[in-house]
Amino acid sequence: MLPVVKGTLDVLVLKAVSGKPMHGFEVTRWLEDGSGGRLEVEDSALYQALYRLEERGLVEASWGVTDNNRRARYYAITKAGTRHLASESERLTEYAALLATILAMEPDATA
Amino acid sequence: MRRLFRHVRRSASDIRSELDEEMRFHIDARTEELIAGGSLPKEARAQAEREFGDMEDAREYIARMDRATEHARRRRWFMEEFTQDIVYAMRRLRASKLFAITTIVTLALGIGANTAIFSMVRGVLLRPLPFPEPEELYRVWSHNTNVGNPHVPVSSPDVEDWRAQRQKIADVGGYRFADGASGLDLTGSGDPERLSIVFVTTGFFGTLGMPPLLGRLPRDDELVRGGADHVVVLTHGFWQRRFGGSPDVVGTALTLNGEPYEVLGVMPPELRYPTDRADAFVPYSSIPDESIPHIRPVRILAAIARAGDGMTEEAVLAELNTIAGRLAQQYPENESYTRVTIEPLQRSITGSVRVGLLVLLGAVAFVLVLACVNIASLMLARATTRGREIATRVALGAGRARIVRQLLTESVVLSLIGGAAGVGLAYLIVNGLLGLSGDWLPRGAEVRLDAVVLLFATALSITTGLLFGMVPALRSTSANLQSTLREGGRGLAGTEGRRLRNGLVVVEVALALMLVAAAGLMTRSFVTLLRVDPGFQPERLLATVFTINTTRHPNPQYASLYARLLENVRAIPGVVSAGAVKDAPFRGEGERWGFRTPQMVLAVGQDEPSAMIMHVSDGYFRTIGARIIEGREFDATDRRDAPFVVVVNEALARQYFPGQPAAGESLVIDGENVPIIGVVGDIRQTAMEEPGRPTIYINNVQNTRVKVTMVTRTQGNPLTMAGPVQEAIRALDPDQTITSIFTYEDIVSEAVSQPRLLTVLLVSFGVLGLILGALGIYGVLAFTVSQHQREIGMRMALGAHPRAVQRMFVARGLGLAGVGIAIGLAAALALGRFLSGMLFGIEASDPLTFAAVTVILLAVAFLASWLPSRRAASVDPIMALRSD
Repeated sequence: MLPVVKGTLDVLVLKAVSGKPMHGFEVTRWLEDGSGGRLEVEDSALYQALYRLEERGLVEASWGVTDNNRRARYYAITKAGTRHLASESERLTEYAALLATILAMEPDATA
Repeated sequence: MRRLFRHVRRSASDIRSELDEEMRFHIDARTEELIAGGSLPKEARAQAEREFGDMEDAREYIARMDRATEHARRRRWFMEEFTQDIVYAMRRLRASKLFAITTIVTLALGIGANTAIFSMVRGVLLRPLPFPEPEELYRVWSHNTNVGNPHVPVSSPDVEDWRAQRQKIADVGGYRFADGASGLDLTGSGDPERLSIVFVTTGFFGTLGMPPLLGRLPRDDELVRGGADHVVVLTHGFWQRRFGGSPDVVGTALTLNGEPYEVLGVMPPELRYPTDRADAFVPYSSIPDESIPHIRPVRILAAIARAGDGMTEEAVLAELNTIAGRLAQQYPENESYTRVTIEPLQRSITGSVRVGLLVLLGAVAFVLVLACVNIASLMLARATTRGREIATRVALGAGRARIVRQLLTESVVLSLIGGAAGVGLAYLIVNGLLGLSGDWLPRGAEVRLDAVVLLFATALSITTGLLFGMVPALRSTSANLQSTLREGGRGLAGTEGRRLRNGLVVVEVALALMLVAAAGLMTRSFVTLLRVDPGFQPERLLATVFTINTTRHPNPQYASLYARLLENVRAIPGVVSAGAVKDAPFRGEGERWGFRTPQMVLAVGQDEPSAMIMHVSDGYFRTIGARIIEGREFDATDRRDAPFVVVVNEALARQYFPGQPAAGESLVIDGENVPIIGVVGDIRQTAMEEPGRPTIYINNVQNTRVKVTMVTRTQGNPLTMAGPVQEAIRALDPDQTITSIFTYEDIVSEAVSQPRLLTVLLVSFGVLGLILGALGIYGVLAFTVSQHQREIGMRMALGAHPRAVQRMFVARGLGLAGVGIAIGLAAALALGRFLSGMLFGIEASDPLTFAAVTVILLAVAFLASWLPSRRAASVDPIMALRSD
């Protein structure tokens, strides 16, 4: 299980809700499924991330009803969120590739 | 999900409860998942909760984030409301321009005057001296315990001994500076100039502790007899003026009184002690004994001392007293000088103006309070006409606090605008006052509008605004809502408001009376001072001050030079008569010698009496128009080789030869019998307020002094003779430098300049107070008339004579004024003692002044009541009954 790298959780959560609106539990499931169970997401951190995204206006939250007729808080991405997601995805993907390249290189031998 | 409102604010408790609900849902969902996967319900729930983990973290984080945003939002909200208030206030002020302008002008005057006086108080009294640790500095005098004189100047051997024998005191030093009488001629570079010098002993610079701007200060060995004491330190002003601020001057030599003095350094511009008119500092030791003997009985120095670390004033006094006591035992000349007197240096510099400045500050504060009361009344009146508007807003849900805040914003905005204008006014006032006050204001150079003064002005403006805005604001929001809406906004015109308005007027009249009383007392005092007979006729008297150079004219030649100078000057066409004196009135105090009458028997250890000694020429008293009461003054027969004779003044004759003529008697001076040839009327010498002290006049031809004030009575404008007199002097010595030129009218005017300034200011404040008080009475009565048109109309319709209506209003106004006058009189009598230090010739409870002031105030009150009463009398009953 890989813990979430600091600073990347917000983007992941944003991605999760970029399609249809989801509530917190759905987001956890989606991330776990998507990573094949390898990504370790703390619930506490998740709700903090959701709060941050809401404060920054990247997601909108509202109370809705699940299929089971239960009250749940749904998070939907906003226009600003979509824009932010696009730029952040590009940035992080590029960074990850760079990371992989450099870490695969041979270091210089001691003189 | 569609939303209707974006970013609807959730309260903190909302967020908490929603988060809890979300968490519960999350756990429920996981539990259901597990149950679907086959776990037992209880186990499923337990596992779900375990998996969920600690939500405290998230809760805390969210709560914290939330508080931060909450604060930011609240601040933004407040700023929005505040801006709203200001915009609204500006709009309302623009709508009532007359009210706004009147108020702003009144405030500008009040705040401006207060700021100006405060800046003077700050610069003179509050700002510390520019020396390191200035609270450690003291001025020191010798104390003659025998005759009971605590402020005797110090001799140089005493200063040296105090310094040498000090224990915990950090340093002691002395200096001599006499405006116009301690100088040296600068020759050799450019125009010859007489420099104004401060002569200093060892320890002077050490005590002050101010480092030089350039170069260095003299070492101890350069400040003693026999040492390399031909050195000089320049003041900043002189350095700029004469040497253009060039640093090359350090190390060069200046020729002073014919001898070379090495320039050691230049002092910074902040050094204004003991005077800001000196050109340079020179060692006191360089003055030869023929000029001033450096012996213990010659006491002409001022002394300063710096306390050691942590020493109290008492400790400094004790240590110096010990040393002085020891010296008194050791040296018979010091037998009577067993103690010293000390005073913190700052107080010794500013003490003379302290009372005056504080009285001014009090007076100007009164004026501001008066102005505030006036404005408060105005606003109260305005508030009544807004009563309906305010009641409506309250009915619509505006909180009372909100409305009060908005009303206060209006007044604070008004007062800040007034304050800004006031600061500009203060700048003008301060410059004007400094120009008028001339030299009598010590530390005048430190008076300016700096940050502290501006802060004061701002704080004063805001406080003023809150003060005069508070009363109307609270009143208008407490008015009964229903009745206000029904009556059409007249709630405040009822009894409640009237009592308050009347009370304000009474306060105004009381304050106005106090201001006018102060002005009246000061005016009478000043007039009394102006009537003082100075002992001479100051018209058309020109004075030319110079010091005969003893190098070029050594004894005995300069005695004959003196006589020839007088001859030459008397020969100038346009000169009616001429004479000479050492120190013109108010420009020096001569010397002090002991003497006794032949009949006087002194007890063992008792000191001789002493008198002021003034050297004069023949014909001086005739020239200045002094009265010869007995005998004669010096004339040409009293030559140098003739027997030594003196003239005395009335004060000496009355004290030592009571009930008999003094001319023909003699005094014993230095063991010699000296005949008195004449008695002259007292001439004021130290200050116009000081009556003449016993004085002995010496014929300069018989006992010479080099400082000469040549006095000429001219036919026309005395200053037109300045040139010819200088030429006549230069004809006998082309290198003679002139120290100063002035007229006797100038010095008489200067001698009363402080009382004059105080009188002018207090009278201005009194007039201002009177105007404001009158406006207050007028305003209240005019308002009452306008509000009670219906009642007046009814009364007149029912048969009341217009005259009677008028009388009623006048009586009302006078009644209010009467109460105010009574209170004001009581307060003025109580506070009067603070003024007594400034008054000359009258008591602070002078009945004539108070009677006059009462009459003035009653007259003004009558006028202020009569005008609106005429309006009341002219109300047309029919029109009044029709209107509402």
